[in-house]
Amino acid sequence: MHEYLTTKQIVESVLSEAEKYGAKKVLEVKLTVGKLAVLSIEQVKFYYELLTKETVMEGSKLIVEEVEPLVECENCGYKGDIQSKGEDIYHFLIPTLTCPKCGKKVKIVRGKEVVVKSVKVAVEENV
Amino acid sequence: MLKLKKEVIKLEERTIDVEKDLIKANERLAEENKKLFERYGVRAFDIMGSVGAGKTSLIDRLIEKLKGKYSIAVINGDLATTIDADTIGKHGVNVIQINTGKECRLEAYMVKKALEKIDLEKVDLLFIENVGNLICPSDFKLGVEKRIVVVSVTEGQYVVVKHPLAFFDADILVINKIDLAEVMGVDLDKLEDEVKGINPNIKTVRVSCKNGFGIENLIQTLNL
Repeated sequence: MHEYLTTKQIVESVLSEAEKYGAKKVLEVKLTVGKLAVLSIEQVKFYYELLTKETVMEGSKLIVEEVEPLVECENCGYKGDIQSKGEDIYHFLIPTLTCPKCGKKVKIVRGKEVVVKSVKVAVEENV
Repeated sequence: MLKLKKEVIKLEERTIDVEKDLIKANERLAEENKKLFERYGVRAFDIMGSVGAGKTSLIDRLIEKLKGKYSIAVINGDLATTIDADTIGKHGVNVIQINTGKECRLEAYMVKKALEKIDLEKVDLLFIENVGNLICPSDFKLGVEKRIVVVSVTEGQYVVVKHPLAFFDADILVINKIDLAEVMGVDLDKLEDEVKGINPNIKTVRVSCKNGFGIENLIQTLNL
């Protein structure tokens, strides 16, 4: 749903970079997405194709790298994976911010980001 | 015969490091909103939840109880129409409608823009009604004091466990329409246990916006 807006922001960021460097064509965009970000990568790819049409980004490759979550507990110092509660009746794992060591709330250090990492462009060769 | 000179442009590949985090970019703007609220002594609350959960009714009830004590403004995010703004507006409070059009979440920059239309000097409390759904708004902070998620028992027993990420950054879960819990067969204790299992710091308040039950309790939870 909101992937449309997020993808639009991604495309706008890339287009402004491309313009800054006088790129004739954008060839590749690298994106990192945290696994806890509320974002469907499949939908981002769908909108990416639509939104890049008739721009210098048309036909460019979108490479998405997913980032594993990392949490930290300020109470007991636990640092590691986010915990999940598996409940058979729900048939899926429910992520929890409860610290596996002390039961307090952990802080998410990594796993929520949506980052435009880098852009590969074609620029005019300096003769 | 006209002879055209063919110009050959040679292109070279170049990689640009961008490192732009869209979530952080929103957070920076949210931080600006927060500073603005602090400067004017405005206490702001983001109210999220599905369509029909009772966000507008909750704000309506809160205003009813609090309008004698505070000067209140409301920012209302909706895809279209001013129905919610009209409902709240009957109290005589300042309502700013943001019709997002296509977007299913409010972002900090939208709130920032809406704040330009409010005389913050004259406001003590600001309720921001987010666009109705439990998914899109969760990653986008607005700079408020507390984030409130409203769910209603008519959304069923599994509304919380099906949307765990919606409660990661929430401060308060309001369970609305509890007058219908029995009819709906929803176990409220279980619902509360489940949300605390996801976020151990979240506070829960049971209300019925229809008959006003629990509103005082929510007001206390918000320290208002």
